[in-house]
Amino acid sequence: MRIAADRVLGVALIGLAAFIAVQALQLEIPFSYEPVGPKAFPLGLSILLTLLSLVMIFRPGDNGSWPHKALGLRLLLVLALLLVYAVLFRQLGFIVSSLLVVTVLARLFDATWGKALITGVVMSIVGYFLFTAALGISLPSGYLFASFI
Amino acid sequence: MFDFLIDGFGVALTPLNLGLAFFGALLGTLFGALPGIGPINGIAILMPLAYTLGLPAESSLILLAAVYTGAEYGGRMSSILLNVPGDAGAVMTTLDGYPLAQKGLAGPALGLSAISSFIGATIAIIGLTLFAPLLAEIAVMFGPAEFFALMIFAFSSMSVMMGKDPIKTAIGAVLGVLIATVGIDSGSGVLRYTFGLPELYDGIDFVVMIIGLFAISEILLMLEHAHRSEDDGKLPPLGRVFVSLKEVIACKGAIGRSGLLGFIIGVLPGTGASVAGAVSYTTEKRLSDKDNTFGKGDMRGLAAPESANNAAAVGSFVPMLTLGIPGSGTTAVLLGALMLYNITPGPMMFTERPEVAGGLIASLYIGNVVLLMLNLPLAGVFARVLTIPRWVLVPAIAILAFVGVYQLHSDLFAIYLMLIIGVFGYLLRKLGFSLAPVILGYVLGGLMEQNLRRALSISGGDVGILWQSGISLGLWIAAALLLVLPWLVPKLLSKKSREEAQQD
Repeated sequence: MRIAADRVLGVALIGLAAFIAVQALQLEIPFSYEPVGPKAFPLGLSILLTLLSLVMIFRPGDNGSWPHKALGLRLLLVLALLLVYAVLFRQLGFIVSSLLVVTVLARLFDATWGKALITGVVMSIVGYFLFTAALGISLPSGYLFASFI
Repeated sequence: MFDFLIDGFGVALTPLNLGLAFFGALLGTLFGALPGIGPINGIAILMPLAYTLGLPAESSLILLAAVYTGAEYGGRMSSILLNVPGDAGAVMTTLDGYPLAQKGLAGPALGLSAISSFIGATIAIIGLTLFAPLLAEIAVMFGPAEFFALMIFAFSSMSVMMGKDPIKTAIGAVLGVLIATVGIDSGSGVLRYTFGLPELYDGIDFVVMIIGLFAISEILLMLEHAHRSEDDGKLPPLGRVFVSLKEVIACKGAIGRSGLLGFIIGVLPGTGASVAGAVSYTTEKRLSDKDNTFGKGDMRGLAAPESANNAAAVGSFVPMLTLGIPGSGTTAVLLGALMLYNITPGPMMFTERPEVAGGLIASLYIGNVVLLMLNLPLAGVFARVLTIPRWVLVPAIAILAFVGVYQLHSDLFAIYLMLIIGVFGYLLRKLGFSLAPVILGYVLGGLMEQNLRRALSISGGDVGILWQSGISLGLWIAAALLLVLPWLVPKLLSKKSREEAQQD
């Protein structure tokens, strides 16, 4: 059997199904009048998932195109950037964190530094006033700057 | 019988709702035209914002439905002008749309597709008005066992019709249903799959789920195209702006037939605009492609899928509004939006919340006219949206996604969860999964389990109740046939042809 993405996925999904089943079996159920209870449905699904995964392992589809190394690196960079955005969102507040993240994100999508910076400035400031003033959403202004505002 | 529609127009014609229908149509067309933002993404991004505006349920549904139908209009732009389908429903539009643009007929092609879309959608809206109340009357008789059988039918019809690989469609649906089991079990109060995280007690939030699954995965996917063809993005000249009446009349058969076909396909649960476009195109090719001009810029080959995919988009409202079973990924998202307002769509909605059902249907009539009026003269303006660079688009999606999720509970946990779901969605898409079954499974999963358990509670645990009634038995048989036929028919056919070959 050749190693195909679908086979790896199939094995992973069977693992997931087993995990789900074990978790379901460990549920402690208080006495109830209901005949089915909370276990049966996830258990049934995990069996179904196992069967479907087995079919996929024996009859995998084509492998698809996976990102090459350089692209994979950029992918991880974008993900890391989004994570940084999440971490800084409250710490630095919406305007500053968005300014940083949008600028770098635009740069990662091939804007020049100048254009990226303009995009960052415009989006963070216009966005802040649009969301807070027009839509009434409260956004973090940032712990670090809270004393100034 | 049509009282609900008259009342509905009363709701839809209030200045607020009229404005929302117009605004939604405009925004939807723009979102549909933007590369990578299809109807689902558009609605996913807008839904939390609509929710914060504090709009009443019918108003936000009118807004989101206008975005949905508008996005079906907008999806054709990149299909015709760049040969890149904006979403799955517009794939067939490229076949004759792009050759027309290359002939210098981009303007008329856009005009014709707007008119075909309008007529197709109109046929379907009339169908919706006629059939939805009837179906709702039948559906009132449904008990939990019938609903469970109906969902089984929906999933099997989806597995067969949606996507290339039925196994992957089914796996996607199962994963979606599994995600729906996270949180406090409503039947017993037991915590399932929360891993001690109190944030998960209420389950995975619907907004977090769709924004992660669609918007975040789209950002990651767009990275692959970041380098490609930034210069190819130059638009072909539009040529003359309007399509002539003669050209439209030449397509009237194609438009009418495809509109009907698209509506019927849209009504079937699990089969949406993409299937409708494909079926109508091949049907029309078989019927009227006498000079072998289809695929080379035949206007009828453009009109047919455009009429059909808009008709299907509207048709998929029928099962959603009457049965609470969405006909497509996008209506699944709309269904989830309704649930945020504690409205469970289904047969009772026409009697209990007529302002929602009627208002929505009436607003579809209005939105459709608005879309035609917007799209005919403004095609050139909308087309320019295609040239928006990704380095503007992607950060904008990121900001909207973060703000949309953050405002739910002012909580960072939801944002981390959104990112995890985004990576999950990206991997699924790279592995050839379609995301629509996942979202359908997620939306229907809770209802499915509830109905199953309710049915078995009624019968005291006897499984036989699930297929006791004629309706549920019929649905089970239909579901089984759907799963078996596509696999069986080619085998029978090939056996027959083998026998014929032996006779030769």
